[in-house]
Amino acid sequence: MRKKYMNPYLAGVLLGLVLLSAMFFSGRGLGASGGLKYAVVAAVETVDHQHAMESPYYSKYFEDGKNPLKSWLALEVLGMLLGGFISGAISGRLKLKIEKSPKISNSKRLLFAFLGGVFFVYGAQLARGCTSGAALSGMAVLSVAGFMTMIGIFGSAFLFAWFFRKLWI
Amino acid sequence: MNARIKISALLVGVGLILAFLPFNAAKSFQLKPTELLEISTNTDMYFSVDEVARFVNNEDTTIQLIDLRSAAEFMESNIPGSINIPFSDLLNPSWEGYLDQDKVKNVYYANGDETANLVWAIVSGLGYSNSFVMKGGMNEWYKTVMLSKFEGDRITPRENALFENRYKARRTFTQINSLPDSLKKQYLEAKRLEESQLDGGCE
Amino acid sequence: MGPITILNDLPEWLNLGIGFFIGIGFGFALEQAGFSSSRKLAGMFYGYDTTVLKVFFTAAIVALAGSQLLSYFGLLDLNLVYVNPYYVTATLVGGVIMGAGFIMGGFCPGTGISALSIGKIDALFFLVGGLSGAFLFAETFPLIQTLAGANYKGPVRVDEWLGVSPGVFTFLLIVAAITMFWLAELAEKKYARNDITSEI
Repeated sequence: MRKKYMNPYLAGVLLGLVLLSAMFFSGRGLGASGGLKYAVVAAVETVDHQHAMESPYYSKYFEDGKNPLKSWLALEVLGMLLGGFISGAISGRLKLKIEKSPKISNSKRLLFAFLGGVFFVYGAQLARGCTSGAALSGMAVLSVAGFMTMIGIFGSAFLFAWFFRKLWI
Repeated sequence: MNARIKISALLVGVGLILAFLPFNAAKSFQLKPTELLEISTNTDMYFSVDEVARFVNNEDTTIQLIDLRSAAEFMESNIPGSINIPFSDLLNPSWEGYLDQDKVKNVYYANGDETANLVWAIVSGLGYSNSFVMKGGMNEWYKTVMLSKFEGDRITPRENALFENRYKARRTFTQINSLPDSLKKQYLEAKRLEESQLDGGCE
Repeated sequence: MGPITILNDLPEWLNLGIGFFIGIGFGFALEQAGFSSSRKLAGMFYGYDTTVLKVFFTAAIVALAGSQLLSYFGLLDLNLVYVNPYYVTATLVGGVIMGAGFIMGGFCPGTGISALSIGKIDALFFLVGGLSGAFLFAETFPLIQTLAGANYKGPVRVDEWLGVSPGVFTFLLIVAAITMFWLAELAEKKYARNDITSEI
């Protein structure tokens, strides 16, 4: 039986408490795009070790015998998959499906989802964090970068919304 | 609608309370005055300028020199490898990563001894270990390392080593400080940004 | 006193384990909020569903207020909590690129992961795109290195920037958030659409 979503304010309090415990236990905020980056860094190292060691970008993740997959963020992202799954199971929302506006085709939705992912994570690497790592966690520690990232993401999404309205409404 | 107004009022109330709370109350003097007095009475807190000259010559990475003078004085001349934390800016949280750590020895200096000793007392009171003072400050550095000459008939091996150490530090000091301002700024900036102090974000 | 792992020199595995558990909470909260649905998320930008705004600001306020209270009672040293560094150019350019990605893909990385965990195939494509984006960034890094590092300001806090105390700023943020919540609920009425809950 599908349950309704939690009241947004209540869900916000829950999310805030999770963020607060990350700050309290580990002295840091939440993150998501960083976990994706670590996966890529580890994959590149496996495929082409020499390239990873020579590149100024990849090599910094292997300094002093570090392993990008054995990092706080990588584990946190794994936990997210489990947490989301538990929540979906409790609320009866586990289902393989493509979610889209009925006016567009599946392939169009998947193409734009892919493109959106490319853009989003590219931007997140540049800004050193995404909605979770930079905007939300940044705001919680009063970081100027956090507020600016939030304004950047939501401001530009509102601006671009008109061009992509056919995807959603 | 009623519940919403109640919750809003509650939130604003919390905000008002926060507005009157001191920030970072958790940071306070951690040593009792008696303990502070006890560690102040030992003289291990000093490094001589000759010792500092040796650190400079060896590019000793276990030592961090911290210049407490103003930014202008620091740009004018500083001991190679120093970072500048002006006295008035000491408690700015962005320096905390440098001051409160257990990896390197922080050696403070200003023109004379007063400022450096005061800073030493403050940071030690905060419970930061690894704090030291360069005895005599920049005045002593100029007098001993930069200007002293050997005067006498015969030089002993010990004095020879001492003066070689001073000459070498003198050369490095002059070289770095005669760089044009823009280059010096770049060099110092690069040094300051070398590493972020805490782990976090999506980096 | 916190942050626990920093002040107590805990073993590495325990720190990672804490990360894993916090991740579980994070994924759970996102899914419960409805962030596993791209159409709910995109609703933010067309006014028909403002869940994003409500959850986002409520969470930020709870964490902000909570951390300051913990600090006041001596339970958390805020100087040891990571503050994101501010690279002016990179933050703004990156933010705009992310906004474009958001409106195209309908997810952000965190919500994408949460959606994948309940079986959304579009989220899988979004995340594969995300991995490609991270790879693209790594490979093009030498080209944009200058941009990425330009105008570095260090980990500045907004209260220092504006010259007010953190508490006063939090108060202002709470007032702003309540105003936005109120506007958001008005917008939801104005731009209301047929219930899409059955479709998502």
